[in-house]
Amino acid sequence: MAYILVLDDVEDAAVMIKRILERKGHQVAVFTDEEVALAHVVAHPVDLAILDIKLKKMSGVEVLEEMRRSSANIKVIMLTGYPTLETAQESRRLGASEYCVKPIDRDELEEKVAAVLAG
Amino acid sequence: MYRFFHLHFRTKIELGITALVLITALLLGLAAGRIAADALKLEHRKRGLALAEILATRAVDPMLARDLLRLKNIVDDLKNLEGDILYAFIQDADHRVMVHSFPGGFPVDLLQVKVAPEELVGTHLLSADGQLIDDFAVVMTAAGDHIGTVRLGISRATIQAVVSRLLVILAAIAFAILILAVLAGTWFARRITAQLALLKGHAEDIIRGNLDLQAGPVLARNCWEIVECSKTECPAYGDVRRRCWYLAGTMCVSCQNLDYPTKIDSCRNCRIHQLNRGDEIQDLAEAFDVMAISLDRHIREIREAEEALRHQQQLMQTILDATPDLISLLDRELIHRSPNRAFARSVGLSLDKVVGRNDFDLFAETTAKERSQRNQEVLASGRRAELEEHLEREEGERWLHTVIVPVYDTDQRISGVLWTARDVTELRKTQLQLIQAQKMESLGKLAGGVAHEINTPLGVILGYAQLLQDDVEPGSQAAEDLQTIEKQAKVCRKIVADLLGFSRQTKSSKAGICLNNTLLEAIALIRHSFGMDQVAIVVDLDDRTLQTYADVEKLKQVWINLLNNARDAMPNGGTIGVKTRLDTAREMVQVWFADSGEGISPENRKRIFDPFFTTKQVGKGTGLGLAVSFGIIEEHGGTIQVESPLPQNFTCQGFVNLAEGSSGTLFIIELPYDSKV
Repeated sequence: MAYILVLDDVEDAAVMIKRILERKGHQVAVFTDEEVALAHVVAHPVDLAILDIKLKKMSGVEVLEEMRRSSANIKVIMLTGYPTLETAQESRRLGASEYCVKPIDRDELEEKVAAVLAG
Repeated sequence: MYRFFHLHFRTKIELGITALVLITALLLGLAAGRIAADALKLEHRKRGLALAEILATRAVDPMLARDLLRLKNIVDDLKNLEGDILYAFIQDADHRVMVHSFPGGFPVDLLQVKVAPEELVGTHLLSADGQLIDDFAVVMTAAGDHIGTVRLGISRATIQAVVSRLLVILAAIAFAILILAVLAGTWFARRITAQLALLKGHAEDIIRGNLDLQAGPVLARNCWEIVECSKTECPAYGDVRRRCWYLAGTMCVSCQNLDYPTKIDSCRNCRIHQLNRGDEIQDLAEAFDVMAISLDRHIREIREAEEALRHQQQLMQTILDATPDLISLLDRELIHRSPNRAFARSVGLSLDKVVGRNDFDLFAETTAKERSQRNQEVLASGRRAELEEHLEREEGERWLHTVIVPVYDTDQRISGVLWTARDVTELRKTQLQLIQAQKMESLGKLAGGVAHEINTPLGVILGYAQLLQDDVEPGSQAAEDLQTIEKQAKVCRKIVADLLGFSRQTKSSKAGICLNNTLLEAIALIRHSFGMDQVAIVVDLDDRTLQTYADVEKLKQVWINLLNNARDAMPNGGTIGVKTRLDTAREMVQVWFADSGEGISPENRKRIFDPFFTTKQVGKGTGLGLAVSFGIIEEHGGTIQVESPLPQNFTCQGFVNLAEGSSGTLFIIELPYDSKV
């Protein structure tokens, strides 16, 4: 099982993802603050980070860039409000493995997490 | 007198000179004849008296001596002295004839002519035998006593013959002078009238339009030759037809930079003027030449100005006629004087039929009254008026942006108004569409913002509804309720996704693509699910590569929207026909989406591309799919239209016939063909 980090400025949304993934046996840490999350990644080995694109201080893409610097092998799934071409291209260019469109469908999330961890 | 005034000038001069000379000659001749005759008579009298006195002196002694013989000899000698002495006799103091020279006896009648004794000398005019005789009588005295009288008769015939000869000579001289005067007068009259005839001929030439003529003489030496001038830029230099003193701006030192006619006074003292000037008639002819040349130049300038004016008028008329704006110039009585073609077309008349009419002849009374009142206000105030006019016409409502400006004449008085109007109906429609589009954009942004905010809580609701279904008994009421929550949350998700799509403002990623490929990709995505709904898709694609410059993803979004719409229009199943063709003439690629559904009513057809317009059930659609599609096609420079029922002439290979009660719908999309791909 994997150690997964969820970063979303809405705590309920992040906790909901945590609940779904914990049922799949993963260990999930929830964050609503970008800096705390980044510090956590430096201190702990994280297998997968699920990042919302819209955050409080930074954008999800910027957080992705920072995490890549401190942990090059971390896998990332971006959460986007709308599947825009630009966002998808930008996320993939910076190393995101996948993206999910909000509101998140449980089955889709489970499938994509499994696929990214397997890859 | 009437006839005299109609005689030729030359004849008048000749007659005048002849009459003048004739009268002068007659008066002079008569006066000279009279004077000469009087002088001769006086001399004749003096001579007669002198002869009588001589006879009296010689006869005194014989008289005293009563020597009759001697007296007789003295009388006869005197009588024979001159041929014109007709008689001589001597009377004594008692008037008795002592001696006489009459050979045939003394005429008794002569005794009737008596000389008074107190008159020493006397003269009488007698007439005898048809001739005049001057009778001279001289009294003889001796020692103061009257001793007798000497009488002498001299004929006037001689002196009359001399006077007659003199008169003949005078008449001959007068006649000769008259002939000479007439000849000189004729020559003079001819000389004057010849020059006048030349001027008259030139004047007639001018009337006929020929201004290339010269009345003045050609000069032996021109001004630049006289003063050895080399100023070729001087207007007089090289001009052999006009005299320099008539020209303005000549550069001679003596001209003192004066302009004609002021300079003529200084020119009169100039050497050139003194050498080249002629008499008054030559001056007149030279002035005539200058006038003709000046007139020619002025006429040429006027013609050039007229030509330029005509050209400007044509240009102005062309511009006025070319402009789609309605333009008309009205005079102070508000009569249309210069309308343009667009104006005439707008009132359904030809240009010449509009000219001379007023607004009441051309428009409905209400419109005419309003326009006339506004025009009057502009005429009265001189202030420009600008307004928008709304007209209800058979072909629909029209909006005119009207501008009325006063027109001033050269005296700065208002001579009329210029009325112009631009049809801004389309602009107004576009403005309304723009306002609508701005409203839609604002609405879209608002909807997008709201949707984005709803997304997160919606995700939480959906996630927990799905999660909780693991915790409840399958088939229980709680499980069913959770399924309902999940289902409705997914409906909400669809609505939110549509709202976000509508509000999305992203740049297109365009490239040269094949239209057929985008269609096949879109159809491949939905063909399976459509099959489940008993909806078949048939394609009739042009074999050629339908190149266009477009964003593939956006076009696919349009195709899927249209296919979804077609499917939703056929709840009981049916066929969707997709056809493409290349219109090489118009360089457009065309796509047809036809369905065999129930069709769209005319009312709904007008609003089908409006945002949030939907005929679907609540929860089935947001009314944004076609609005988004419309925006995408417009962004690609194309058009999208809808027709319902299906046109009779529409064909698509494999497209089934319509079921009874169905009218079908056809979407036609056109995009620019890109030959550079």
